[in-house]
Amino acid sequence: MLSIYRLPDHLPGEKVIKIIRKDFFVLFKKIVLFVILGGLPFLFFFVTNYSSTLNIGEGLIAYPLTIIFLSSYYLFLWLFFFFSFIDYYLDVWIITNERIIDIKQEGFFARTIAELRLYRLQDVTSEVKGIFSTLLGYGNVYAQTAGEKQRFFFKDVPRPEKIRDLLIKISEDSRKLHKGEEMT
Amino acid sequence: MTFPLYILFFLYGFFLLLWTIFSLIALYHMFKFGFKTFTTLFSMLVYLLVSFAIFYVSSYYLMGVDWTLNVSILKNFIN
Repeated sequence: MLSIYRLPDHLPGEKVIKIIRKDFFVLFKKIVLFVILGGLPFLFFFVTNYSSTLNIGEGLIAYPLTIIFLSSYYLFLWLFFFFSFIDYYLDVWIITNERIIDIKQEGFFARTIAELRLYRLQDVTSEVKGIFSTLLGYGNVYAQTAGEKQRFFFKDVPRPEKIRDLLIKISEDSRKLHKGEEMT
Repeated sequence: MTFPLYILFFLYGFFLLLWTIFSLIALYHMFKFGFKTFTTLFSMLVYLLVSFAIFYVSSYYLMGVDWTLNVSILKNFIN
């Protein structure tokens, strides 16, 4: 497991300032979807048992087949919900006093870690678009750098304007500390 | 067409095997790449507990089934 006290390639004097994940509403939408999918078999049985004389699930094969189907359905639904949660949970941005670390889990057995030294940060933009984003206060942050990965993208993060202000402030502090290294 | 009912049980076993493999992969990723925090461990625990609950309920309803019966398709499907 990762530890926030032992980051990848930990720098001397480096301290974690903030750990950011996508806004909870992103996960909430997935929860709602899975709750709806979870309720579908109940809805199906309600409709079939109350609207016709057909008693599905009570035949010699139908009963075990129904139980097996429902068991497999709920197990795989729960598994896919866990996959969605892992996708949400393992994507993380770590802001330290020295750098931004972008950790992205791109499916299973595929993980990308990118980092940006704060003194190289040139421009930070926050963006809030859409009804839910505006009402719930989440959006995107773009951090422009002169490095190989030119633009860091914080997607659907909570309070993007506060993150923008934080990045501007700590990048200024970092530039003061690393005067002379900016040009390299 | 006649077949023994336990064929369905083997089919179920095959789904369970697939499910187990994917679950282990998911738990491996959480364990290896998740932060050492309460949320990581708690989410893994909740996943396992709910999974066992689904197994328990399924086995409760499947326990009463006589798997040795031979069934004919279409004849005994609907009561």
